[in-house]
Amino acid sequence: MGSYLATEEQVSTWLHLLAKERDLFWPRSVGQFNYSFLPLGERDEICFDRYLPTIVPPGRRLLPDDETLFTSQQGDDRLSHYLPPQPSAPMVLAGVRPCDLKGITQLDTVMAAAPADPYYHQRRVNTVIIAMNCLAPCDSRCFCSAVGALGAQDGADVFLTLLAEGVLVESLSARGDEILVKASFSLCEDGKERRLVAEGTRPLPFGRELAVVPEALPEMLRKGYESPVYHRYGERCYSCGTCNLVCPTCYCFEVRDEMSLDGFSGRRSRTWDSCMIPAFAEVAGPHNFRAEVGERQRHRLKRKFEYLPERFGLGSFCVGCGRCGRQCTANIDILNMVNDIAVEVGGGS
Amino acid sequence: MSKDAFVDAGLYLPQTGRIVAIEQCTVNEKFFRLELTRPLQHRPGQFVMVTVPGMGECAISITCGPREDNILEMVIRRVGNITAVLHGLEVGDTLGIRGPYGAGFDLEEFYQRDVLIVAGGLGLVPLRSLLLPMIAAHQRFGAITIITGARSPAETLFRHELADWREKENVRIIELVDSTDHYQWDGEVGMVTAPIGSLVLDKNRTMVVLCGPPVMYKFVLLELEAHHQIPATQIFVDLERRMRCGVGKCGHCQINQAYCCQDGPVFRYSDIQNYPEGLA
Ligand code: SF4
Ligand code: SF4
Repeated sequence: MGSYLATEEQVSTWLHLLAKERDLFWPRSVGQFNYSFLPLGERDEICFDRYLPTIVPPGRRLLPDDETLFTSQQGDDRLSHYLPPQPSAPMVLAGVRPCDLKGITQLDTVMAAAPADPYYHQRRVNTVIIAMNCLAPCDSRCFCSAVGALGAQDGADVFLTLLAEGVLVESLSARGDEILVKASFSLCEDGKERRLVAEGTRPLPFGRELAVVPEALPEMLRKGYESPVYHRYGERCYSCGTCNLVCPTCYCFEVRDEMSLDGFSGRRSRTWDSCMIPAFAEVAGPHNFRAEVGERQRHRLKRKFEYLPERFGLGSFCVGCGRCGRQCTANIDILNMVNDIAVEVGGGS
Repeated sequence: MSKDAFVDAGLYLPQTGRIVAIEQCTVNEKFFRLELTRPLQHRPGQFVMVTVPGMGECAISITCGPREDNILEMVIRRVGNITAVLHGLEVGDTLGIRGPYGAGFDLEEFYQRDVLIVAGGLGLVPLRSLLLPMIAAHQRFGAITIITGARSPAETLFRHELADWREKENVRIIELVDSTDHYQWDGEVGMVTAPIGSLVLDKNRTMVVLCGPPVMYKFVLLELEAHHQIPATQIFVDLERRMRCGVGKCGHCQINQAYCCQDGPVFRYSDIQNYPEGLA
């Protein structure tokens, strides 16, 4: 699991080589300001410059929208036979930022919790991740450092850092070694030291800050359960669910069945869902356990900072990517919301 | 992600169950007996996900007690599209079944204890899965008191079974309806909360199980607190949520910190009493 030093051109050539064997996704600029993880085509250029987080996080490739859970077919015996979907093809997610990487390892844990999700698992073991270090905050929304996502390397097979002298390529797993066989980079004995020097140039604070340490959040949020802050933000929320759809650690889904016109075959799929949508917690009755928009904001926020961290023990499930605030029409920013609660509950500094 | 963790590739694939008996219980409720391809091996209080091919899937409580054969029994109320189709099915038709899911009850915890069951509306449907094995081994339990409540005599369930159970020396059954609604009725009239105050319960040895419409819990718990002070660790509540996957992934049934599908739907009251969304 060695380290190498390469030029951007060499890395680019290597990624294009990999992309010939399997789908390789790299953040490509789309429109004026946005980025999207798209398959790397033969002629596509790779931009190593600082790029904003993509609108949709890369982890969603592991839990794709409208994924088939099974297809069904009525046989001659008049019974419905349920068939699993075709296994997905191997892929490479490349250019994954530490925040998104941490998001993926958190999805890994959620999906592996018994009973494990077989389709996620199948995709994940077939996915190679080439991560890309961050040496400066991507924009004014970022707060990855505050929630402990900045240093994330876990889950990556190869880790890239842009140094003044070139691209540092670190292999972090046997799979990383495997895909690096094709590269002709020069070995770099002191890779880790060079990375640490580069990381030492990061500005401090790195991005925005939390008013309390992340470990104190669950207790603070329990105390502030009835906080008016949720409702204050809720007042301008459209309950559109965008904040959930762009979040690297949101994974809730809705299940849907469709029947073909022949009446004999069908398909069940799962589609991305959102706890901000009013009907999410409705039951027969009808009764809605989170009918108020403020209650839904509270649920979304507590899942990130209290419920999931306590259930899975992995620290904050918000990885500080800033996407929800960036994409929200109403400018509802989860960090601002947490910090307002901290001030109100008195847990803030 | 660990590659060797056990992964059931068929987690989302239903097995086929063939309907072998149907009974109309009330205007809106039908009883279904299915024969599966393998034993369900469930615990009392668990549920299954039922697929109507091409229509969809919904969570349904298991109403039979644990059994060795391939039989699954359910009582299904007609409330939406899927259950409407279910009500139109006939003996011989097939359904898809996934499960059993949920934590369920541990019957042994009730051995040698007095038991108070309060079932409102359809509450008896899931609780029958607990009551059947309990009555079958009734000597292993102390006094068993069952309070059932329905809106009217036309909406009562399992009355023949209740009549049989009443014959056991340690079983007492109090059947109530909100109003007789001009039907003949040999039970009592009133809310399920009414008899609780006058029961003689030993708070140290009584286990309580509640299942009914959301509004019921609050009032029954208030009565229990006012008259008997039974510790919250000895009280179980069976909660309803809108489950999609049944296996803790889809997020729909989350109640604050808890997942109804995995941690419930039967919860020890002490585990959820501080959850504001629990009995809301
Ligand atoms: S994106 Fe903004 S407006 Fe839409 S649901 Fe989320 S917080 Fe509300
Ligand atoms: S909650 Fe918002 S900032 Fe946090 S990880 Fe999700 S999208 Fe990013």
